Amino acid sequence: MEQNPLNKKIIISKGTELLRIPADRLVYISADGNYSDVVTQDNRKTMASLQLGQIEDLIGDQLGESDNNFVRLGRGLIVNTDFVFSVDVAQQTVVLSDCKGCYHRLSASREVLVKLKAYLEAIQ
Amino acid sequence: MAKMNEIRDDEFRVIGQGHSPQPKQPQEQTRRGKQVALVSFAIVLLLGLAIWYFWPKEKTPPDNDGIFDPVPTKLVIKPAPKPLGKTVDSLQTAFVEKLDTTINDVVLSIYIPHNTQAPVLTVGAPDKETRKAIMAFQAADIRADNREILGSFILKGRILAQGKSKDGFCAIINGKVTVGVEENSSMFEEAAERNGYFFRQYSLVKNGVLEESEIKNKTMRKALCDRGGQIFVAVSETDESMHDFAQALVDLGVDNAIYLVGSHSAFGWYRDEIGEQTYFCVDVHRKSYRNENYIVWF
Repeated sequence: MEQNPLNKKIIISKGTELLRIPADRLVYISADGNYSDVVTQDNRKTMASLQLGQIEDLIGDQLGESDNNFVRLGRGLIVNTDFVFSVDVAQQTVVLSDCKGCYHRLSASREVLVKLKAYLEAIQ
Repeated sequence: MAKMNEIRDDEFRVIGQGHSPQPKQPQEQTRRGKQVALVSFAIVLLLGLAIWYFWPKEKTPPDNDGIFDPVPTKLVIKPAPKPLGKTVDSLQTAFVEKLDTTINDVVLSIYIPHNTQAPVLTVGAPDKETRKAIMAFQAADIRADNREILGSFILKGRILAQGKSKDGFCAIINGKVTVGVEENSSMFEEAAERNGYFFRQYSLVKNGVLEESEIKNKTMRKALCDRGGQIFVAVSETDESMHDFAQALVDLGVDNAIYLVGSHSAFGWYRDEIGEQTYFCVDVHRKSYRNENYIVWF
């Protein structure tokens, strides 16, 4: 049975661990050395034993070209653009929020934020 | 071959998409690009016209053909300096040779490890295993506000801290030690990928030239030095400014040197040829921090 795009889950599996994360509830993933921190809409942070690049590949494979709202920002971040609330190039911050209980202020390089801002303007 | 997911810190990528709208160039950037292109084109055109105008229409052969033979360019190769310290039997147990010297009134002790493996970094107060090392010096500084490691730091491939407040670095990758001065060193990524070690400190000497420092006070100074490929630690026995200390290292013939945690309160030790262990800063009231870190030779 084909999966409803709204219920698509990203499966991160390595060794004895398995994570099933609803794509639309995944806010961002940050690199932590050889590991990655997966942050979901309920503000939970879960560590995955994969590098950020490997998770990027998984997301690309599992979500494909459509229904994929994820972007890679430099070496340290994968962000769900649905949650981007504000981009401040001068302050080098991006705020991810659902305007309810989920709010994360992250730092990224100026160059990356310029590109993110342009991208978000382009997909409007 | 480069992996598909390799990315720089200033790069942006839409995941899993080949057809999504590409980010528009910001207007300002586009306008500036056009201006630069226009000016470049005008300069090239003018240069072309000038060359065409002034180019001699008929070349006259020189009268003294063959008198001035081209002088072959000499390739000058600087001989590697003679390593400091004595030559030791490779079967001898690892030890540290201490040399004392005075350069420009700066009294220096030079600690040369013999028959050791490449150094490694450790984090935390030295445990029983670390104390077996024949030489240890505190490596990266710790921030006064939150006690985190200052500057980028990699422990056996694991990134513990990131920051470029200091442009000196030491990378230890696959048994090779590199002491260098570079704001953005690819060795950081390499150390992370290849289970290596990396830390940052103030630069003192870069390619044999003194690096000026803004720190003006005087205290006991320590440096990790590379002189013709020989790695050693130099310590000032007297209180010195960063400038005088770095100048002494330049005069010693050091190619690259970075600072190590200095002052009289920095802990460390070395073991000499007869197995006697000498400590720096033997202070029973010394505070230890969870992030204090060492470069150690076994």
